[in-house]
Amino acid sequence: MSKHQYAMVMDLSKCLGCQTCTIACKKLWTDRDGTGYMYWNNVETRPGMGYPRQWDSIGGGWKDGQLQPSPLPSMDDYGHAWEFDYEQRLYEGKKKPVMASPAPKSGVNWDEDVGGMNGNENYFFYLPRICNHCTYPACLEACPRKAIYKREEDGIVVIDQDRCQGYRYCIKACPYKKIYYNEVTGKSEKCIFCYPRLEKGQVNACAAQCPGRLRFVGLLDDPESPVHKLVLVHRAALPLFPEKGTQPNVFYVPPFNPPKRGNYDRSILEDSRLPLDYLIYLFGPEVRDVITRLEAELKMAQAGGRSELLQLLIGRDAETRYRIKPELVQIKV
Amino acid sequence: MRINRGAFLFATVLVVTTIAGAQASRTPTGQALNATPLSAPTEALLKGSSTWDQVPAHRISLNRTPPLYDTDEPASLEIPVLDVRVARASGKVLVQMSWLDPTHDAATLPEVPNTPPETRFLKLPTEADDRFFDAAAVMFPEKPGAVTPSLQMGDTDDPVQIYYWNAARGPMLMQAAGRGTTRRTGATFAAHGAYDKGRWTVVFELPDLAAGTPLAFAVWNGSQKDRDGRKYFSVWQVLQ
Repeated sequence: MSKHQYAMVMDLSKCLGCQTCTIACKKLWTDRDGTGYMYWNNVETRPGMGYPRQWDSIGGGWKDGQLQPSPLPSMDDYGHAWEFDYEQRLYEGKKKPVMASPAPKSGVNWDEDVGGMNGNENYFFYLPRICNHCTYPACLEACPRKAIYKREEDGIVVIDQDRCQGYRYCIKACPYKKIYYNEVTGKSEKCIFCYPRLEKGQVNACAAQCPGRLRFVGLLDDPESPVHKLVLVHRAALPLFPEKGTQPNVFYVPPFNPPKRGNYDRSILEDSRLPLDYLIYLFGPEVRDVITRLEAELKMAQAGGRSELLQLLIGRDAETRYRIKPELVQIKV
Repeated sequence: MRINRGAFLFATVLVVTTIAGAQASRTPTGQALNATPLSAPTEALLKGSSTWDQVPAHRISLNRTPPLYDTDEPASLEIPVLDVRVARASGKVLVQMSWLDPTHDAATLPEVPNTPPETRFLKLPTEADDRFFDAAAVMFPEKPGAVTPSLQMGDTDDPVQIYYWNAARGPMLMQAAGRGTTRRTGATFAAHGAYDKGRWTVVFELPDLAAGTPLAFAVWNGSQKDRDGRKYFSVWQVLQ
């Protein structure tokens, strides 16, 4: 067990699916050989296939203290990183516009904004995903090389690239499929929670770039941190698929849309725009209590009261949203 | 609950002998592999020269490692038979491993350019993330002598050298001092693999090992996701 635990809270009501976090992460960490298809941070439309496709149902995680089986997703499930045929268009006389080549059949965020139907109405929301830096990481248990470890000082889960032999047991074991295999290096890689930035007092790149200001970062065990307040004090954020048994340290404030037209003064739970069953599928039955709590805070604020929780969720400035402790790391490389 | 005394005794004996078997011993359990002296250049022998026909083949039975995790897919029950030929030439020991494998799991991986990726617009892609390649290895003790370390990648006191060849990544020299300690040394060695009509023939160039050195062999089948301890292995044989 680590001494401290960094955690992130993402407020799904504020996510606009702009993928700025995805690009911030990609430019910083996965712009290397073999990493084209990797998105350590991705934003997927829910309901939807996800990235890699069907990651939420293919397996992994824990059940009764045992690792659960799972296939390895294929490149078609992730989507190949494609190039564009500029050469043909610009120099070889191709008359048609520049196209992705070869024609892609799948890809990250392939089903953007498709969503699902709630009665006769379409609905969707965005789910940004990074490694959950779990308290009980299935990937760590699955690695026969002991190449994966949880940093004692801050709970960040990382893969030692010197020890990793690219066996990919970790990818199978991770129920969130947030580890990626780099065939060029022959090793597996994952989100490192931007620990080199945290060690310099900078927040994670995905959080720093987020125009929606929906990410909150800090130590779960620091009573002053926004994540401690949101998760443990206000109990307004939940982990994804808690039944997978890994105890994620990324938490989500469930998407909280206004009531439908004509339903003012009625509870969102009575006639939700987003089917409650789907939110329960993602976040477990506790999501009902969280929405009830959020709704009560909203009512209070609408009646002229001051909601500390909503003020925190607005997250006006970086000081509110982040509380980074660079002094945690004793050994500097 | 009643305990069956016979079964208990048998289990105890099994545990004790298994533990004893894991320790270094002086009794190799396989056959003698007679090395044939050859005058052909090692380059030609590596590429599969017909000179190998002069070298008698030793047929070695392989075993399958038990599954590492309950979550692993079961392996094929067909255990390949390994033919090993050993020769001495130009102060080297050459080992030819040959076995049937109907599935050819090999690839030519792109060579990483010398220029750093940040200076290149295009980066090399990961072509596939879920394929594993055929491979073979020869293991022998690091210290000269007849002591046979544990088959599970040697012991702390008796480390092993592993000459590993992979159908996509080529040869790499590894060291280990017990299970889970295997590491790539970064060094390489001369090896050559050829696949023809469902049969792999891989030649390893080993250093000048003394007669009496124990040798163990392993084979991986990429199609059934073999890697790591998921493999076929032989018990220790003795170079003569």
